[in-house]
Amino acid sequence: MEKGGDIFRALADPTRRALLDSLFSRDGQMLNELSEKFPDMTRFGVMKHLAVLAEANLVITARHGRTKRHYLNPVPIEQVANRWISKYAARFTSALVALDEQVGADHETETRRAESA
Amino acid sequence: MSLPAHVYQIYIAATPQQVWVAITESEWTRRYFHIVAFVEPPQQGKPYLTVGVDGRPAVDGITEEMLPPEEGRPGRFVQTWHTRYDAELAREPASRVEWTVENVGKGLTRVRLIHGNLEQSPLTWENVKDGWVWILNSMKTLLETGQPLQRVSEDEILSPADRY
Repeated sequence: MEKGGDIFRALADPTRRALLDSLFSRDGQMLNELSEKFPDMTRFGVMKHLAVLAEANLVITARHGRTKRHYLNPVPIEQVANRWISKYAARFTSALVALDEQVGADHETETRRAESA
Repeated sequence: MSLPAHVYQIYIAATPQQVWVAITESEWTRRYFHIVAFVEPPQQGKPYLTVGVDGRPAVDGITEEMLPPEEGRPGRFVQTWHTRYDAELAREPASRVEWTVENVGKGLTRVRLIHGNLEQSPLTWENVKDGWVWILNSMKTLLETGQPLQRVSEDEILSPADRY
């Protein structure tokens, strides 16, 4: 049982994903800091997107004295992952992804070697 | 610069009192919190120590605030957090973990966790970042289904790289 808005709807919008990216790279930003990163959008527009993210529990606001800061909440994202990936599978999947990246990197190195030879 | 705090929030289909017990009592913590338990029941104003299944120290500090939830008042459990499970992390100063447990509907509780005061503890900051997500989801699963999230392996639980 999860309260609040739909996580999939919240994540469907590219601006909202960009807001989460911004918080992921620097957590705890204030509204004006976030607004500056979206010059094409009004402050009110950014606020509305943040409200949808907060409703889906993806963003949490916390007051520090007189400032209000926004934090990325990764908890619901893991809940989505847990829904379809068991812990064992997750480990296996990440190992496969790592292997794939390694194979890709090796292949590139070999190709470069072959070209320079 | 990133603010030296992690903030998490989760909704759990349980009463605030049930969640409170899960956070503060060892019979519950060892079921979802990497088998870690309080050596003595935590008391406001007193030092505390948690240990792993083999008795090795996990975390210590002071229980600064311990206010159980009541009708119309959220529960607050605040502890300083000095890592002991890894030698390198143990050299960093204590940070602070604040739990707020609030009733937000019939049988629905909002749990907010702030791990702050991490300014001087960059290694701890990085180490606990994703670990709390797992802990919170595991606690939710345990309270809602009676079973915690499945652990990956015994090695992972005991390794120093294990995250809280």
